[in-house]
Amino acid sequence: MSASSLLNDEVFRLRLLLAAMLLALGTLVARLYWMQVTNAALFQHNLSEQSIRRVYVPGQRGQIFARDGTLLAANQPSYNLVLYLEELRRPGRWQNTVTNVEAVVQQLARLLGQPPQLKRSDILAHVHRRLPLPLVAWRNLTPVARARIAERTLGWRGIAVEVEPSRVYPEGPLAAHVLGYVKRAEPELGEDDSFNYVEPELTGAAGIERRFDHALRGAPGEKIIAVDVSGYNYRYQLPGLADKLGHRDAVAGRDVLLSLDPRIQRLAENALDGLNGAAVVLDPNNGDVLALASQPRFDPNELTGFIPTETWQALSQNPDKPLRNRTISENYAPGSIFKPVVAMAALDLARASPNTSYNCPGHFMLGKARFNCWEKLAGHGTLNLHDALMYSCNVYFFNLGLHIGPEVIHDRALELGLGARSGIELDGEVPGLVPDDEWKRRERKAEGGWREGDTCNMSIGQGAVLVTPLQMANVAAVLANGGKVWQPHLVLGLRDAQGVWQRTPPKLTRVMAWNANHLRLVREAMCDVINAPTGTGKHAKIAGVLVAGKTGTAEHGSKGEGHKWTWMIAFAPYDAPRYAVAMLVEEGVSGGSTVAPLLQKMMQGIFHPDNAEGEG
Amino acid sequence: MSFFRFPRRLLRLDWTLVLAMLALFIGGLCFIYSASYRAAELPVSNPLAQKQLRFGLIGLAAFLAMALLDYRRLRDLAWPLYLLGVLGLALVLVPGIGKKMYGAVRWISLAGMQVQPSELAKLATILVLARFLSNPGRDPAHFSYLALAFVIVLPPVLLILKEPDLSTASTLLGVTLIMLFAAGVPLRTFVILLCGGGLVIGALFALLFLKPDWVPHLGYVKERIIVFFDPGRDPLKTGWNAIQSALAVGSGGLWGKGYLQGTQDVLGYLPRTVSANDFIFPVIAEEVGFVGSSVLLSLYAVVLFAGVRAAAVAQDKMGRLLAAGLTGLVFCHVFVNIAMTIGLLPIMGIPLPLVSYGGTFVVGAMAALGLVQSVYVRRRL
Repeated sequence: MSASSLLNDEVFRLRLLLAAMLLALGTLVARLYWMQVTNAALFQHNLSEQSIRRVYVPGQRGQIFARDGTLLAANQPSYNLVLYLEELRRPGRWQNTVTNVEAVVQQLARLLGQPPQLKRSDILAHVHRRLPLPLVAWRNLTPVARARIAERTLGWRGIAVEVEPSRVYPEGPLAAHVLGYVKRAEPELGEDDSFNYVEPELTGAAGIERRFDHALRGAPGEKIIAVDVSGYNYRYQLPGLADKLGHRDAVAGRDVLLSLDPRIQRLAENALDGLNGAAVVLDPNNGDVLALASQPRFDPNELTGFIPTETWQALSQNPDKPLRNRTISENYAPGSIFKPVVAMAALDLARASPNTSYNCPGHFMLGKARFNCWEKLAGHGTLNLHDALMYSCNVYFFNLGLHIGPEVIHDRALELGLGARSGIELDGEVPGLVPDDEWKRRERKAEGGWREGDTCNMSIGQGAVLVTPLQMANVAAVLANGGKVWQPHLVLGLRDAQGVWQRTPPKLTRVMAWNANHLRLVREAMCDVINAPTGTGKHAKIAGVLVAGKTGTAEHGSKGEGHKWTWMIAFAPYDAPRYAVAMLVEEGVSGGSTVAPLLQKMMQGIFHPDNAEGEG
Repeated sequence: MSFFRFPRRLLRLDWTLVLAMLALFIGGLCFIYSASYRAAELPVSNPLAQKQLRFGLIGLAAFLAMALLDYRRLRDLAWPLYLLGVLGLALVLVPGIGKKMYGAVRWISLAGMQVQPSELAKLATILVLARFLSNPGRDPAHFSYLALAFVIVLPPVLLILKEPDLSTASTLLGVTLIMLFAAGVPLRTFVILLCGGGLVIGALFALLFLKPDWVPHLGYVKERIIVFFDPGRDPLKTGWNAIQSALAVGSGGLWGKGYLQGTQDVLGYLPRTVSANDFIFPVIAEEVGFVGSSVLLSLYAVVLFAGVRAAAVAQDKMGRLLAAGLTGLVFCHVFVNIAMTIGLLPIMGIPLPLVSYGGTFVVGAMAALGLVQSVYVRRRL
């Protein structure tokens, strides 16, 4: 082989070498194409799985309005002191970071002069469960505290004041039982939700806030955050990351419009101030709930946000049960306010007429059992149905009840909405009870079946009969409007996304087939209850407006202990009723002496707002 | 006369190679900045990029010095340099002198700087090989030609293996093969050699898996090989870097996420201890995508082309072998480094020439290319 051919051979080898090296680089390019072009989406997906977290962002909660536009539940900014753990982290074990955060909290507590709201276990839980999110150390900072933080924490790392919406009830305790209150709770997520972190959200815990929680809450949005390899939030902009993944804005919740009339609600609550009782005012023409008052009451503002344990215990363990909505959640014997129901049943059955008369010697003997009239010494003498209602004679109704039988009373009572939940838009309603033979055989096995004594008790709204003030207000409304049974209607509508109120129409559940003459008789008697000088409810009379009604005094508990629930139902004005009322006072003396003056005060306020006393 | 030879030689430099080298270095500088960039800090000071720039300037000086130096004069210096390199490698293993980092002893302190003696040893070995293989008295077809070549290579390879640094050691073996091929070892001999080498490697792996006690300091190699075939096996520890660098590369897509906008490094998924040096490629690939990665590889292709061209036009055999060996060295590093970050090879501690952060390596790579230029400027005309 010549020298030149050897040289040529060597150059050829070098070319081969170069080709091999370029081929190897080509392999790399092919592999890169496979990764970065063919399968880029897969790698991008896996990358976001490890470094992207979706955070649940609550929508702005809807507000609650009264029928006249008064704002009853609103949102206001609350200032929270938050800690950014990514700036307070310490290398090494997690405990080091927790200890450092705890030390910062202690320092802040001294600075603020307030005890820490966080325990070490809270910090630990936050580190485990939502490390990249800010840790709220104090909620609801006062302006003083905020100023102090602004002045004294310059240069501190990892602390900030953040604004968070909180719930406020501008009218304070007004209609607290209707509105309810909110607590912070973690929302329940659907299966399709892909949130990695959920922050506690304002959640309805009672009342309208709870019943309409879904509508008030709106739809959550999501915030995309990047987490570093340790799981801490990476707080600086990474436009390359979040933009491509898209984030969703939260949708504000819907506003709720209540049928409540704040003026009447306030009058009702003020009338019962200092007592344990309830008052319901309905519009008999459509079932609108104008007032739903329960006393004692509470201020929902105290239950929103951070609740000190003492506050909660004081409310929940108070024997007067201020958290209980007595208008719907408590069963009461109606006593004599049940008598118009019995009277209408008897008249409609044609087993009684306006002239049906019985003699009242002050008591009634059923076999050997003695049933007293409340006028037990003198008795009422012989009276007709009108007078029996006006004077609320028990003996008359014992006779009448036995004469017509318990079944018809039971059936009519059910038709009027007793013994069943009214369907008002609130949770925690109790159905009450209208007993019958079947019920007694089921629930009171020891006593055997239905007896005549049970009929006597039922005829005067005693025995096992139980009602709620709302149910009795609805009975008053049916008597007021001539037989239309409306479903009590508390929520007039919700505001849609365009800002238009979508109203829910009132619901007529039944029209009683009442004879007009019979109805007139009972209504006249109820008018005389208040407006005749001898009526049991004469203390409820107001000037200028005819108010019709019926008093009631129901005994409960063991005989002789003298526990009484005192009642009135009423409607007004007599000729064209606009208001139907039920008012209850626990442990009163009698409907006529205890409730009538309170009802009078409320009615006075409703009809004569200018010279009413005690309006707030 | 000698006064005028200076710039004339400079004019004969291969400017394609110079430009590609500068482009790679400056590009690397940008991504070292990106890899050590933290939005949290003011972006004015970036110690790694600044240091790298200083190394680069030293490297450029070394490049020019080597280019102007007549490589034929190195013929006499080859053996002393080789001995110096081997001595350095031996010093590394002396407790108290060698500095341990990331589980391996690869550094010694020299005048306050951390130096990797293996860099010098690699260059010196190539130089000695070039001198030996170009000796006109030796026949490439003769057995002693091959055997003596390996005798030369073996001491530094074994010392490097002892650090342990399997990847550098195998790079040196790869370069030896390239030089033997370029030196004209008959093709049949060469194929037999390749097969034999494959058998040796196979035996070594078998040893690694069957009798791990015999090669205790290479345990990490076994681990990396297992992880290479099954990265999900231990994703949080040994498989971590492979998984995270693949995620960075793949998620870059066609155009990348944009300069300074890669997330794998900023969020710490690519460990910050390696993202500026051995794993600089994932940082680049994430931010500039397939297009940018292809540009990077094209620049290396230019360097390789220029290197092989220098070998082809070399005045003598030593020059040819020197240029081929040094080009092969660059190639081995580029290929192994990128291949490991995209899942084609097990994870190895090999930096990307001219681009990765690291003083000794930048100076070494530029000096190597300077030597290639020394061959080129003295080419046959």
